[in-house]
Amino acid sequence: MLSFYIEQLAGSLPFFLKGLGMTVAVSGLSLVAGTVIGFVWGIVRAKRVRVLTLLLGAWVDVIRGTPFLVQVFIIFFLLPEFGIQLEAFPAAVIALSNLAACFICEIVAAGIAAVPAGQREAATSTGLNWFQQLRYIVLPQAMRVILPPLVGQYVLLIKDSSVVSAIGVVDVTRVGWLTVQRVPQGLLVFGLVALLYFVICYPLVQLSSILEKRMSSGYNR
Amino acid sequence: MIEFKDVHKWFGELHVLNGISLTVDAAEVLVVCGPSGSGKSTLIRCINRLEPIQKGELVVDGMKVHDSRTNMTKLRAEIGFVFQQFNLYPHMTALQNVTLAPMKVRKTPRKDAEDQGRYCLEKVGLGDKLNQYPAQLSGGQQQRVAIARGLCMRPKIMLFDEPTSALDPEMINEVLEVMRNLAREGMTMIVVTHEMGFAREVAHRVAFMDMGEIIETAPPAEFFARPGSERTKLFLSKILTH
Repeated sequence: MLSFYIEQLAGSLPFFLKGLGMTVAVSGLSLVAGTVIGFVWGIVRAKRVRVLTLLLGAWVDVIRGTPFLVQVFIIFFLLPEFGIQLEAFPAAVIALSNLAACFICEIVAAGIAAVPAGQREAATSTGLNWFQQLRYIVLPQAMRVILPPLVGQYVLLIKDSSVVSAIGVVDVTRVGWLTVQRVPQGLLVFGLVALLYFVICYPLVQLSSILEKRMSSGYNR
Repeated sequence: MIEFKDVHKWFGELHVLNGISLTVDAAEVLVVCGPSGSGKSTLIRCINRLEPIQKGELVVDGMKVHDSRTNMTKLRAEIGFVFQQFNLYPHMTALQNVTLAPMKVRKTPRKDAEDQGRYCLEKVGLGDKLNQYPAQLSGGQQQRVAIARGLCMRPKIMLFDEPTSALDPEMINEVLEVMRNLAREGMTMIVVTHEMGFAREVAHRVAFMDMGEIIETAPPAEFFARPGSERTKLFLSKILTH
């Protein structure tokens, strides 16, 4: 009996791979966009422009303090009420990018804050402007603090992307739902779903711990 | 070259600079001493506007530091600053540390900047450490790289904020030696330090600060032999007899 189901499952493997492709597409796009936006927000937050910092802080708190599923629903079901109609895919990417940006913003701001003030003073005293200081002095040092948790955050976000299946994006999780209706072996089906997530995430988990080790080992080269 | 006119500065309630008036001429070496918290560091940090002043006038090389319209990049390029804690860039080699500002601020081509950087590092006795990272250098060597970083911009003025205070005793002299040479070459310098031997030998004038005021300024011979105020005497008796 079990072997019959396994065979059936093997038959839907292309369907699963397509779902995996969708998961990779949603996560990939969102991580790129979220990283770019998150760095900009993080830099703005670290610069302490009062109004902007306050606004960003409030936004980040709201996003971090509400369930991602609810955020996805708001973007997909409520925005149309205000005339903004989105397909499931862009709605998913926007929601996940925003979530990513909020977490990455905090990581970046913390990384920048970890660079000693003396570094900026030294750069200021030689006449480097704000952007040059950021580019040549602050960010290269902050990246040592930022990179390990950033990659760790990527893993969490890829897993969070499963939530977008709720609005009909046919990602790996959604493929699991659909398959389990034909193949009534939940453990088997979602075991496969879990395995596929694990295949993407495990290398990143490893990368994060390698970075952690490498980045904590001083500047002696 | 540097002129303070009744300069005041507050950190919140704290009146850290209380009516400073002081002139430093080109090629002059001024040593500033005084108890900790007297405002010496703040005084020199105002000169390149690492700290803003709240009242008074501060003119450096003909530019008004207190005026927000002044091009600070241009002014800072003319002023080298050496910190107590060195503040070298840990992710860059010695040569990269000294060539960054010439390339980015002065727009010197890389090759010329590197020639200049090598020259400056040789000048502070570190011609063989070009490609070392700060963490691979001793404290004295790091501070000499920091001095070279200032010199590499070909500044008109060099400011030193307790440059030897964070160093082990055996490394102090190698840093002071570099500063002596600079003074001999006619660099305009303000040095905040407790190294009274250096003050006696190199300074043209010594200023004593306490509680945000300059109590007295005099040539070293006079300053040490006949201090004019009780506070100066007390301070000197403390640091010269330890």
